[in-house]
This record gives sequence, C-alpha cells and structure tokens, in this order.
Amino acid sequence: MKKKTLRFRAALLISRLAMHMQKLLGMNASYFPGKLAIKLCPDFLGQIEKPKNIICVTGTNGKTTVCNMILDILTDNGYDVLNNKAGSNINAGVASSLIADSTLTGKTKKKIAVFEIDERSSKLIYPYIKPNFAVCTNLFRDSIHRNAHAEFIFNIISESLPKNAHLILNADDLISSSLSPENKRTYFSIAKLDSDLKKSVNIINDMQVCPNCHEALSWNYVRYHHIGNAYCPKCSFASPKSDYIAKPDFPSQKVTVSVYGKDETYPLVSNSIFNTYNEITAITLLREFGLTKKQISASLKKLNIVESRYSSETVNGIEIVTHMAKGQNPIACSCVFDYVRHESGQKEIILMLDDVFDRDGSSEIMTWIYDTDFEFLNSDSISRIIISGVRSADYKFRLLMAGVPENKLICTEKEIHAPNHLSLNGTDKIFILHELYAAEEAMRVKNKVKEAVQNRRNCHV
Amino acid sequence: MSEIKIEVLYPEYANLFGDLMNIHYLEKCIPDAKIIYTGLNDTPAFTKEEVSMIYMGPMTEHQQELVIQALFPYKEQIQNCIDKNTVFLLTGNAMETFEAYIENEDKSRINGLHLFSTYAKRDMFHRYNSLILGEYKGITLVGFKAQFSHSYGDNRNCYFYHVLRGDGLHPGSLLEGLHKNNFFGTYTVGPFLVENPLFTKYLIKQMGVQNPVLAFESSIMKAYQKRLTEFQNPKLRFK
Repeated sequence: MKKKTLRFRAALLISRLAMHMQKLLGMNASYFPGKLAIKLCPDFLGQIEKPKNIICVTGTNGKTTVCNMILDILTDNGYDVLNNKAGSNINAGVASSLIADSTLTGKTKKKIAVFEIDERSSKLIYPYIKPNFAVCTNLFRDSIHRNAHAEFIFNIISESLPKNAHLILNADDLISSSLSPENKRTYFSIAKLDSDLKKSVNIINDMQVCPNCHEALSWNYVRYHHIGNAYCPKCSFASPKSDYIAKPDFPSQKVTVSVYGKDETYPLVSNSIFNTYNEITAITLLREFGLTKKQISASLKKLNIVESRYSSETVNGIEIVTHMAKGQNPIACSCVFDYVRHESGQKEIILMLDDVFDRDGSSEIMTWIYDTDFEFLNSDSISRIIISGVRSADYKFRLLMAGVPENKLICTEKEIHAPNHLSLNGTDKIFILHELYAAEEAMRVKNKVKEAVQNRRNCHV
Repeated sequence: MSEIKIEVLYPEYANLFGDLMNIHYLEKCIPDAKIIYTGLNDTPAFTKEEVSMIYMGPMTEHQQELVIQALFPYKEQIQNCIDKNTVFLLTGNAMETFEAYIENEDKSRINGLHLFSTYAKRDMFHRYNSLILGEYKGITLVGFKAQFSHSYGDNRNCYFYHVLRGDGLHPGSLLEGLHKNNFFGTYTVGPFLVENPLFTKYLIKQMGVQNPVLAFESSIMKAYQKRLTEFQNPKLRFK
C-alpha cells in the first residue's frame, strides 16, 4: 500500500465534506467529490485503500446490466459490495464510491468491489485500480466524438489492463476477445442458434477480413454485426474456443451452460439475445470468482432486469411502446430497429432521435445515421414513420435511401406534434423510439398518443 | 457517354463514419454506373482499366499503414490517373495516405505516397470534433470533422475549398483539403456527397455525365438547405 501523503489526507477530508454537503442539500450522489479529490491529489485513486477483491466491467454495450447482475447476485449471497452504481463510470465516479466507503483515515470498509468502467477511462483508472477480474462484454463502434472507432478503444483497454487481471471475455466477439493476449482469460459464448445467419446483414461489420492476412473471414454463424463465430480460410486466425457455452431455451426460460464441458442449468432472466449475453457474462465471472451453480441459480430466480428504457401499455387494443434508441450510437439504434421489425402486427413508428444537447446552440454531427440500419424499417408491417425533431429532413433522406416509400414518411419539427400524424388505421402497435435524454419528452408524446387512440375510439363508438 | 466505373478502395477497412453512403448515393444518382469494390488483397482496377472515379473513406490508424503499403506499388499509376483528370474523392484520414508522411506523437514517421507535399501529425490524446462551412467554385459546402490528426505544410496551390467557418487543413487554416485536377481530398467525415448535393452534381459532371439528376433531389436539398441555414447562423457553436 502506497504511503498516504498530506495532500491525499487533505483531498480526502475536503471531498468527504463535499459529499456530506451534497447529502445535506438533498443532491443525488455524483462524481463531484471524486473529481474534487483527484483535482486536489492527482494520484488519489492510488493512495486510497481499495477492497481486496475488485471486479471491473467494461465494454461498449451491456456493462451496466452485467454490473447490476453481478452486484445483485453477490449481495443476495451475503457479500457486502462496494460499487459505483450511484455515481459514474469514469475515474471520478470510482473515486467517489471509494470515498463514500472509506473511513476518515482513508481505509476501506468493504472486502469486495464491483466497478463499471467507461472504456476510455481505462487509462486513468487501471494504473491505480488493479482488478482481480476484468470483464469486457463486447467492443463496437460508438460515438465518433469520444470513441472514434473500435480499434482505438481496444488499444486503450488492452494497453491499460493490469497484467495480473483475470479476463472474462466474449468468444463471439472477434474484437474484444483479443484484448491483452498475455493475461489469463476465460471465454464465454452462446452456441449456434436457429436464428443465426451465415453472413452479416448490418452496415457495420468491423471484422469482415482476417486481421493477419486480410482474407475474407468465413462464418460458422453471425448473430449481429461482427458478433458470431468465424475463421480465416487461409491462416490460423479463428474465434477462440469457449469455456462457458450458453444454450438458451427461450420457451422454457432456461439456459444450459456448458462449463468446461459439464452442463449446468440456470433460469433465463430475459428473452432477448442481448440479455442472454449479459447473463452468461455474469455467470462466467461469478463461477470463476468462486460462487457455486446453486448460489448463482437461486439468485437469478429472484432477478429482474429493469427495463427502464422500455415501456408498454395497451389502450383500446393498440399497444403503445416506448423504447430508448441511443442516438449517435449506430449499433444500439440498429438493434432497436431490428427488434421493431420483428414485432408482430401492423406498426406505426414515431422517431425522436435528435441529440438534445447539440440542438441547443450547435448542429448535430449526423454521420452516424449512415452507419445505422434504417433498412430494417423498410418493412410491409410498418405502415407509417413519423419523423420528429429539427433533423427530420436528414432522417427522411436516410429512410428514402433505405428504400422506405415516401408516402409512409411524415416529418414534423416538434416532437409533441408527432401523434397528430398517426393514421391509426389497422394499427396494432405504435412504437415511440426516443433518444437517451428525450425520455421525458417521450412520455409526453406517449400521453398524447394515448389521447389520440382514445379519441379515435370514441369517434367510432 | 462511356460506361461510368467507380472504384472503391478497401471498403472492408475504409468505411468508418458512414462514408460508404457516398457510393450508395452515387449508385442511386447514376443507376448504370459499375461499382468496383477492391479489397486489400486485390489488384486495383485502375491499374488494369480506365475508371471514372476512385473513392476511399476514413479508416483506423493501423489500417492507414496497411493501405499505404498496398498502394505504394501503384504510386505512378495513381499519379497518371490524377494527371489525366480521373475523379478522386478521399474523405477523412484517407487523404493522409496520399501526403508525404504521417508523424506519430513520438516523432516516428510513416511514409505516405507523397503525391502531395503536405504531411499529417497524429495526436491520439486529443479528439478534434467540429463543423465546417466553406466554398468551392461558388458552391457552399457543409461538413463534419472528427479526427485525431491534422495536416500541415503548404496547400495554398492545392487546397480543395476556402473555409468560411471552422478550420481547414489544421486549426487556424482557412484552406481545407487537397485538390489537383479532379482529385478532391477532405478531412470531413460522413457522406460528403449526401451533405453537399450541389457539389455531387458537379462531381458527376466531371465524370462525364452531361445532365446529372440527383436521386431524391427535393429531400436532399431540403436537408442541405436546413443545415446551411444553421451553419450560416453566426451564433452556431462549431466546436
């Protein structure tokens, strides 16, 4: 343990006071105390005492869900776990959680910590936080402003990860599975499914060719984008062999996991393939950590994945669904569009994808919509798409390029006006697809949609 | 008019930021055009036949090095294509592969094709994001920049367009990109041709189409006009 400097002690005291003040003022926990502490003492994270066992979870998609699963299962099994759930996943958020847990002298009160780590913050966190286990869910393209491209993020994580960390990696992700090749590693995957493809249908596939010889990869199966199992027909490059292989049985809500060749059965917490990945990630970590199948299984039975980004309500026979579609993130939006097109019934869609920050004084960089599979919305089962927001002309052009007939498209600059344009003619479902920070506006739009559905019904009575 | 052939170099790599939509849009505008996708292990079509246009989009830093290696044996043929007015469009950091060299933070250098004397400097610790407004031959251009590197050197005799707002080749420069004959290189990312339909019309003419017709013209013009109005607002934040 590094000797604590006077500067550290002052930073700890001041940041604890700041945290206390925040509580007195009724403010939510935030990364502010940690930010202050690091400002006052740049190696604060290095000096503050950490729990003996540390689990870090990173990756482009699913890290929050995986972190919550791990945390809930550990807690259910009697572990008192330090975490950064309430703050943020950057270095200041991790520092805040350590401050909140520490004694006046900077000693930790807990023996185990689970931290969600922002990918780009790896280089600021891992020099000080040495995880026993480091989990990476997957790596994809994300916001071009911050994350540039997957290779950039891969390099940051790979170069930052401490050599002693035992890695838990996704064998179905040919990018993240190659992280820090010298580290001890355990792989998880999902076995071939009936719904799998032989070729990626997404615009983005960052593993089209072998990274060694540039030959086109052959796929045993593709799930979405570059997620699947592949090999190079010319050299030895291939998806790694998996240690934990999940075989989900969605109708029976169970998943059989082959653990080093021996089958174990667990309850399946969700019907989606994304959450099955999240679950197998958590199971792999927890089994490697030392929990038994029985312990994990019992806790999973009690687990509910909070669908805070989704709501569904049926009004007069029409299902109204709100679903977050994270703007500037082509993978997340493509996944939502794929989900909508596979939903049964005749559908109308309200799109509200504008970046609420950029439209306040700037102009959103719209390149991401050309990486997003708007083609999935070109479906006979989608009768109308109402595009709302200041960027509606861009989305309309994108949808035309995707082959959606112009007579299905209606633009309106004000989101709240979108429900006025619903046809409600033979409509079974209405999807309101909204940006992360437009959740409140989406609720207002939803209420207006409910009124429209109700009024139309009354007119017909 | 002879057959329009558009060669897309290394689309398996040079496809970041939705830039391949440049080609998909050209396909819609010139339905008879033949699109040739050339992979890193392939011999480029321009070495064997005449092509109307060569396109390359942005890529990762490692892939830039692979692309330079792949194109190096064809440097003279590329120069010949530029000299005889073949249309080139290079977007994002693809442009840097045609410059003299790319310098890393540790001052190490990767030699480029050196078809232009300018050079690029990487700064992987600082991402540069910005809007840009400019003008080329009376056409007002709009664009987005998202990059780790900037180019330096003298592009006064070979710049693509005058910058009206934002930065050109590097912060403070009012001259964006590289241009010679029908070669156009710009740091802007995303589908430049979608963002700038009037330039697209001009570019298609340079390929030999007498009266180009833009696909979804009213919609694309509406999106362009909307963005242009925003970009011309002096209160708009560019960075």
